[in-house]
Amino acid sequence: MNKLLLMTMFLLFSVVVFAQQKVEMADTLRSNGKIYTVVAVCLTILIGLFLYVFLIDKKINRIEKEIGDKK
Amino acid sequence: MLNRILGIVKKELLLEIRQKHTFYGILLYIASTIFVIYLSLSETPETTIWNTFFWIIQLFVCVNAIAKSFLQESKGRMLYYYTIASPIEFITAKLIFNVIIMWVMSMISLLLFFVFLGNPTTNSILFLVIVFIGGSGISLVFTLMSAIAAKAQQNAALVAIMGFPIILPQLMLLMKLSKVAFAEVFKNGAVIQLVGLSLLMNVLVVVLAMILFPFLWKE
Amino acid sequence: MNKSWWKILSFLLLIYTIIAGFLCNVPRLPILNETIRNLYFHVCMWFGMMILFGVSFYYSIKYLRTFQFKYDIYAHCFASVGSFMGILGYLTGFLWVNVTWITDQSQSIGSVLKEPKLIGAAIALLIYGAYFVLRDSFTDMDKRARTSAVYNIFAFAMLFPSIWIIPRIVGSLHPGAPGSDSGNPALDRKDLDASMRMVFYPAVIGWTLLGVWISTLKIRLSLLKDKIDSNE
Repeated sequence: MNKLLLMTMFLLFSVVVFAQQKVEMADTLRSNGKIYTVVAVCLTILIGLFLYVFLIDKKINRIEKEIGDKK
Repeated sequence: MLNRILGIVKKELLLEIRQKHTFYGILLYIASTIFVIYLSLSETPETTIWNTFFWIIQLFVCVNAIAKSFLQESKGRMLYYYTIASPIEFITAKLIFNVIIMWVMSMISLLLFFVFLGNPTTNSILFLVIVFIGGSGISLVFTLMSAIAAKAQQNAALVAIMGFPIILPQLMLLMKLSKVAFAEVFKNGAVIQLVGLSLLMNVLVVVLAMILFPFLWKE
Repeated sequence: MNKSWWKILSFLLLIYTIIAGFLCNVPRLPILNETIRNLYFHVCMWFGMMILFGVSFYYSIKYLRTFQFKYDIYAHCFASVGSFMGILGYLTGFLWVNVTWITDQSQSIGSVLKEPKLIGAAIALLIYGAYFVLRDSFTDMDKRARTSAVYNIFAFAMLFPSIWIIPRIVGSLHPGAPGSDSGNPALDRKDLDASMRMVFYPAVIGWTLLGVWISTLKIRLSLLKDKIDSNE
């Protein structure tokens, strides 16, 4: 019983290890830290986008007030 | 209420019979489309193509036959309906009437298909039942689309634009379902499930029409 | 400032999405490889689209209940931003499909397009395309609002059974879909492990909130335009 359990465990484990070895990921990109450049680029774009939307929001706010005053 | 609904249906049928040109127009439309298909295919088509052609023709016949159901109504006649019936009665009558018309059209086009393109079905009765279910489904959706499009100015094209994406899943369902009649083997119970699904869709459309039509009605 | 807490939330969530989305560990799956991270961006577009369409549906119902004109504007703007997200979802989907589903030469884009989720998405976009055409064909404001609300409600209510039915008719390439006969190299629900969920759900919320923000901007612009028109 115990042996069987061990066997299956071993088998399963080896399958997992095998699967992990086989699949290629961008590990180099991660290990040499260049991934941070990608993150930084995306973050800059995102922040820029949000800033833009925020400014439009403020502008509409102002116009809303102006038109509200006129009335 | 039931009396009034039946009354409107009867009146619509009478009108349809009296102004024969519209009915014959659709009839001619069916005949010529099927004839074009017949001529453009050099031999009798295989079952899948036959099936696809059949349902697409059904779709277009429906767009042409049903689309006019609201577009044609003159303002005066609408006003008349307005005085004698409630919106729910009116839409029910319209739905019933259009389903009947669609059934007649389906019968005719099925007959013409058999004549021109051969009969690939192994179980014609079953196919007929599916055609009835499918025809009612298509006509129900397009009745409501027609009611909506009638409110807009440029209308006939609008019916197709609005209706096609909505009817598409049902049409796929029907094409799949009608393969039963072509002796394709289905999983146990799959047929019942498919039939049930298309009937449920029909019920859903009817319920939605009942709820939504009153908003289109008042003017 | 209190009212805009969700805008800040959206901002923070998306920053978190990008940082965690690129840096956290993901399951190592064949063919998908690193592209599994697209889940945080591409799939969120679809979720956002459906949620925005749902909001549009809600406002259409509200319009028919109250006949207040602003609800019609709400429904319209949410639908248009939803469609925009849907188009983005389509475009990003094309890019992703090219490296995952179309792996051997014989598979063309045409064979992939018959995939149920794509059909569903196409139907949704076509429906809302028709919705905008319908709106444009009216000159009378009240009639337009009423009729397009009716169509919106009907179409949206029909969309759900459709999305449920289609996978039962056509085999799916998408993971975890009922009736999908596996053998497809995308990720499964099982594979969406805890660490991915930790990023995925915030990402959905973040992107959706951004969509809502843009929608509110559009709504306020339309309302302003309306005000100016009525003043003149």
